[in-house]
Amino acid sequence: MTEPAPGPDSQAWTELLGLYRDEAGEATLPDRLLGLWAREHGATAAGLYLQKDGLLCQEAAIGPGLPESLDEASLDAKPGDAKPGDSEPGPFRSLRFPDGRLVYAPGDNAQSYEDAVGDPLTLLLASLIRSCRLRRDLKDQQFQVNFRVVELENLYDVGLAIAATLDLDRLSEEVLLRAVSLLDARRGALYILEDGDDPSQYRLARTFGGEAALSVDADDPDLFSFLAGSDTSPGLLPGATYLLGLPIAVENKPKGLLVVGDKESRRRDVGPFLPSDRRTLALFANQAAIALENARLHREALERERLEREMHLAAEIQRQILPKGAPYVPGYQLVGWNRPARQVGGDYYDLLALPDGRVELVVGDVSGKGIPAALMVSTLHSALRLLLDQAGFGPSLLERMNRHILESSAANKFITMLMAELDPGTGLLRYLNAGHNPGFLVRAGNDRVEELSSSGVPLGLLPNSRYQPRELVVEPGDILCLYSDGITEAESADDEEFGNERLIKLLRKHRGFTLQEVLETIQGAVTRFAVGRPQYDDQTVVLLRRECLTPCPPLPSPRPPIPGRGGT
Amino acid sequence: MTDSLNVSVDRRDGLAVIYTEGYINNQGGEEIARAAYKLLDEGFKVLLLNLGGTKIVNSIGISILIEIIEKMIEIEGKLGFCCLTPTIEKTFQIMGLAQYAPLFRDEESAVAQLRG
Repeated sequence: MTEPAPGPDSQAWTELLGLYRDEAGEATLPDRLLGLWAREHGATAAGLYLQKDGLLCQEAAIGPGLPESLDEASLDAKPGDAKPGDSEPGPFRSLRFPDGRLVYAPGDNAQSYEDAVGDPLTLLLASLIRSCRLRRDLKDQQFQVNFRVVELENLYDVGLAIAATLDLDRLSEEVLLRAVSLLDARRGALYILEDGDDPSQYRLARTFGGEAALSVDADDPDLFSFLAGSDTSPGLLPGATYLLGLPIAVENKPKGLLVVGDKESRRRDVGPFLPSDRRTLALFANQAAIALENARLHREALERERLEREMHLAAEIQRQILPKGAPYVPGYQLVGWNRPARQVGGDYYDLLALPDGRVELVVGDVSGKGIPAALMVSTLHSALRLLLDQAGFGPSLLERMNRHILESSAANKFITMLMAELDPGTGLLRYLNAGHNPGFLVRAGNDRVEELSSSGVPLGLLPNSRYQPRELVVEPGDILCLYSDGITEAESADDEEFGNERLIKLLRKHRGFTLQEVLETIQGAVTRFAVGRPQYDDQTVVLLRRECLTPCPPLPSPRPPIPGRGGT
Repeated sequence: MTDSLNVSVDRRDGLAVIYTEGYINNQGGEEIARAAYKLLDEGFKVLLLNLGGTKIVNSIGISILIEIIEKMIEIEGKLGFCCLTPTIEKTFQIMGLAQYAPLFRDEESAVAQLRG
């Protein structure tokens, strides 16, 4: 007959049952059970240990000398449940349970191993340690669930931060720090692909936890394989053992890199990242992509706004340069008009009545368009006014102007210019044409057209250009037309140019009208001719007509109605 | 802010303040735990962790802070946190640390409350 297993007396059982019934007793139950067990088995100390990260961690203990944690291998190299001969000689003996160990220091009167295994108290301790493990697992799972919530909150916060600011430095730091912390990484870095037409380098924007490569070749094969998931590191985080990196991409175009290194664990130093870490990092890389794209769009919008402001200012300056109206010249009509292709243009005209009665007429065209051309127009205007005052009309004015333009402008910049000086009393018109389109003088008497053709190369091309002055007399009824090539080279939808002939025909046909009407006719005709095509070049027209003191010569044909004006 | 954690301690009458600067991760958390347990050994039972110099904490660091909180509960001491960034404060709320260790906006009010 088998002897009954040793166990606590009835008083101890009663006490234990009391502890189980009382919720407050739960905290002291492990110590009480261990105490009873130690007393029954002659142990001087006893402890319950749970397995955790390769170590045995103490959950409860009584008596002196038991450490907080133990290396399992140092206790028992043999696997299997508690059985006779399972313990090792030394200060401690242990009983292996499915969820941990009972470790004890045997006293002088310690019971045999067999007695310890068969004791109901030992079974209670095995049950208790299972309860400890379940509690710990629950706690760990609760921790993991909470940390997933932290992860989601962080992604949400980064999204809010991106919506709230366009400070790319701050957003880069937000994204990097949150990625490092949520992936339990020890280190991290954020790279941004350099701007430019052919970006080939990722530039380090932010680093955390240690050094990082300052730049990485975007075409590095090691980088490609690393981003695809291989362990090959292109040296992004020198010294890091484990790396995880993903591209920051906008519409599948790479914009940067997000890299983390060395995943931490509680008991070990660092280890590799998990597949779930890759998904988390991808979420942060997406957030970074949105931040980068928003910042880029914002930069572009600011730049556009700045350019528009500058263009607006330049247009205003140019409006101030061009005449606000024509001077009154007794016996003559005079009008001028300019329409730039962009906000500011490279065409220039001036109508200037001198104190002695002479009138200066100028039409110029700067090569190029936009702001650079407008700046040259400004230069031309200042120099012309100054030289006219100093030297007066003549070849030397244009020659000095030529040198000035040559010295003060880029090598490929030049100005064509037609400048004429009228003596209103005699109708004598002297002119100088530096490579500009020929002006037209439509004679009232015989309907012939005389050209004010070029007498020299454009200003700013050659250092020693010479200009030959020419002259003619404007008779009563004659119309003088100076213009820029934006008029005669305006193109139709069929790529046909407006041309000199159409302009001359208009002048002849409408010379009986007021000059303002003639001007509006030219404007309308050019606009209709080029309908469907954007205005490619600046357009300028200056018209002068000498009034007839006696009735003007008859018109060559009946006065036609002006299109769009309802006729007269 | 430095990347690795620096810990400094200010011992006052019946209370000690632990200042952190840097990343509360595995290494940083262990530094804090060492400082805290040393203070407990010295007899301090009221501790304040001033995280004003810390912008970033990971899950390992949080688990170590939880262990410190558990230890403080075990010895019936008091532990509080102050000067947390909004991100860390939210993390502590979600992870349940704030249930057992109060969070304070500034050190002055924390000291007053913990001593009270």
